[in-house]
Amino acid sequence: MYGMVNKSVEDLITTQFGADKWELVKAKAGVTVESFISNESYPDAMTYGLIGAATEVLGLSVDEILFTFGEFWVLHTARLGYGELLSSAGRNLGEFLDYLPSFHTRVALIFPHLKPPSFECSDRQPDRVTMHYFSHRPGLSVFVRGLLSGVAKMYNTPAEITQTQFKDKGADHDEFLVRWEL
Amino acid sequence: MTGPQTKLDREQFAELFPFHFVVDREMRIIDAGDVLLRICPGITIGSPLANAFSLFLLASPTLHIDREYLIKHKSTLFVFKSSSSDLMLRLQLVILGDPERYIFLGSPWVRNPTELKALHLVLKDFALHDSTVDLLQLVQTTSTSLHDAKQLALRLELNRNELKELVDTANAPILTIDLLGKVRDWNQTTERLTGFSKADAVGKQFVEDFVNEESQQGVRKLLDGSLEGVKNARLEVMLNTRDDRKLLVIFSASPRHDALGKVTAAILVGHDITELDEYRTTLENRVADRTSELSLANAELSRVMRSKDDFLSAMSHELRTPLNAILGLSESLCEGVYGGLTDRQSKSINTIAESGHHLLSLINDLLDIAKIGAGKMELEQSTDSVEDVCQSSMRFVAELASKKKLRMSLVIDPNGPVVHADQRRLKQILVNLLSNAVKFTFEGGSVTLETKCHLERNVMEFSVVDSGIGIAPQDLERLFSPFTQLDSKLSRQYAGTGLGLSLVLRLAELQGGTVSVKSEVGVGSRFTVALPWKSSTSDIATNDHAQDQHATEFSAHESGPLILIADDNESNLLTVGDYLRAHDFRVIEARNGLEAVKTVRTRKPSLVLMDVQMPIMDGIDAIENLRGDMSLAAMPILALTSRAMVGDGERCIQAGANDYLSKPVNLKQLVQTIRNHLNVGPPK
Repeated sequence: MYGMVNKSVEDLITTQFGADKWELVKAKAGVTVESFISNESYPDAMTYGLIGAATEVLGLSVDEILFTFGEFWVLHTARLGYGELLSSAGRNLGEFLDYLPSFHTRVALIFPHLKPPSFECSDRQPDRVTMHYFSHRPGLSVFVRGLLSGVAKMYNTPAEITQTQFKDKGADHDEFLVRWEL
Repeated sequence: MTGPQTKLDREQFAELFPFHFVVDREMRIIDAGDVLLRICPGITIGSPLANAFSLFLLASPTLHIDREYLIKHKSTLFVFKSSSSDLMLRLQLVILGDPERYIFLGSPWVRNPTELKALHLVLKDFALHDSTVDLLQLVQTTSTSLHDAKQLALRLELNRNELKELVDTANAPILTIDLLGKVRDWNQTTERLTGFSKADAVGKQFVEDFVNEESQQGVRKLLDGSLEGVKNARLEVMLNTRDDRKLLVIFSASPRHDALGKVTAAILVGHDITELDEYRTTLENRVADRTSELSLANAELSRVMRSKDDFLSAMSHELRTPLNAILGLSESLCEGVYGGLTDRQSKSINTIAESGHHLLSLINDLLDIAKIGAGKMELEQSTDSVEDVCQSSMRFVAELASKKKLRMSLVIDPNGPVVHADQRRLKQILVNLLSNAVKFTFEGGSVTLETKCHLERNVMEFSVVDSGIGIAPQDLERLFSPFTQLDSKLSRQYAGTGLGLSLVLRLAELQGGTVSVKSEVGVGSRFTVALPWKSSTSDIATNDHAQDQHATEFSAHESGPLILIADDNESNLLTVGDYLRAHDFRVIEARNGLEAVKTVRTRKPSLVLMDVQMPIMDGIDAIENLRGDMSLAAMPILALTSRAMVGDGERCIQAGANDYLSKPVNLKQLVQTIRNHLNVGPPK
């Protein structure tokens, strides 16, 4: 997993709950990494371990953590990591989502070993789009919902995100309908 | 080659090349991509190219763009700078003929997302095939990684500083030695202890330059082991110091590894034990001194103990002998051996006799306590009738009890008719307790001696119960301490030694027993002695074995001559018996002539000491009886006669006695006479 993801977990817990809680989460997860490098690859199990330990330490459910974490990732960590590039991906929510598949394709080109997920858009309307999420990592659909919610907030656009297809219920990928106010 | 033969309309062309523009032969802009027109307001269709752009050439910033220049450089990369903004375009020129047109294809030169934003561009403005976006993304991620690496470096620096501070402030010498044995690092504590600064030490050979010669070989081994991967090896090391002080440090050595796990150095963490070593040396010297003193003290103690033994022996021999004379002469005086006495003289002699008896019991108690304390009291175990022991003990106090009109009773538990113990010491215990009971009970009261056999616990209890004055609870604790006499009217009336109960306790404990007391002031007391006891069956079954064991344990006594003392006077039995035992004779007793005869027949003593005046059968009859038995002809009989009865000695000789001695007996002379008759010398 992308170091930026682990970094985001660290940032979220440190800023929202305190540095002591982060140290506790790390200790519980058995993680001894001093500082994550955003574009380095880390074992997926480490990220899952951190999320699991966070639920225990913070007393939140896995879904709550993942959704909060998704929003936080867009609004704080990714903005720091990608800087202006992220907001330059589109002038509004629709444009951003249109560009998201290309964005991930370019990430995959730069860091092929990170195995980033891929996105597809369909049924594009002025106020909606269906996002298709493909990933070999299980259990992250709530995180993606948080990401999409975070993007909407980044553009100050009230939006409704509904998961319409579930990989963990047998579909070959997850699917989200994103609707926003014009 | 004809090329792809594609005809793109203007919209398709603009999508592929959103930043393109077209110039005619007169160098006027005749077309441009929509995105370019949006972000670069200086471009207007029909205006000269030179108005909109200038050439970006550092060496020739003023060079003009004209047709000749373009044709000449058509195969090179053009960089045009916008006249109206910061926009710079990277361009490739394609020249088409008829009509002659110059088509520029390319995209803006942006180095980071901030510049992108400054140009009012979004990623979507670029053609998908344009690698500028990839470049931007790559630059951004690299920048992020660089930022992360800087942060990590900062954090590591902080950690390093913390660690350095920790190492420097640790009150322990910490140093690093490299593979060549040179000092690589040296903390502040090491500087303080040795007086050598880090700058003095780094790069120098640790062993040769800083380790005392006597420790060098050990340290080389320690370092070699550590560099081979041995962890936490420890060694006491004497270090050199700048001011030639003694510095003793315990070092713990461990290997230091690089990122690949290769050993690169040895880390030594020490603990200054110089002071500890000094303490240790002082302590060792002190222990040696104390040991020496202790040896001297032990020697002195041994000498004192020998002196004490000698003193006890002298007490035993010398105090009791003259006392025996005092008592004997007092008795003789009372009996009128030296003529009649006035009442006043008689009273005085009685006082002398009473005082003498008191002194004798005091000496006996003291000697017994001293013997027990010195571990020299030896027990002579035998199995005897409980009733006999109790009766005999009660006889001792019968006279005083009678004077005080006390009701004396004996209650024997039929379940325990015999007891295996040192009879003399058991009797001593009971006589002491009975004497106290009689002394501390007012006239008309009662004293009972009762026995109780606890089969389940294998314990025989002897209890002396009186209806006397009783003992207050606060006095019970100190009751068994030596020289303790509780203050009372009766204790003042009957002066004791204050040693009786202390002796009772010690004698009971010596036999594996205990003593307990229950008492109530004004009601009476119950003193109970509990001794280990075996049932009669097992007693009988093991009696022989017990005697065998006894023979082994007290072989010195068993091997001594067996003397029968026949005397009805308990004091004489005690005095003479003790003296003879002290001279390695075995002693058995009889209290009248008949008992003496019976005992001689069963026990076959080596010699008989026969008092003439005895109840039931007197000594002379007993001697005659014994001499009537041919098997006893060789057994010497010494008669003890009273000086009051003139001619007793001769009558004894006639009856068959081998010799006679007049009372009071000189005990030394008695022992010598016995030895003469038995042809034995003093024990070696």
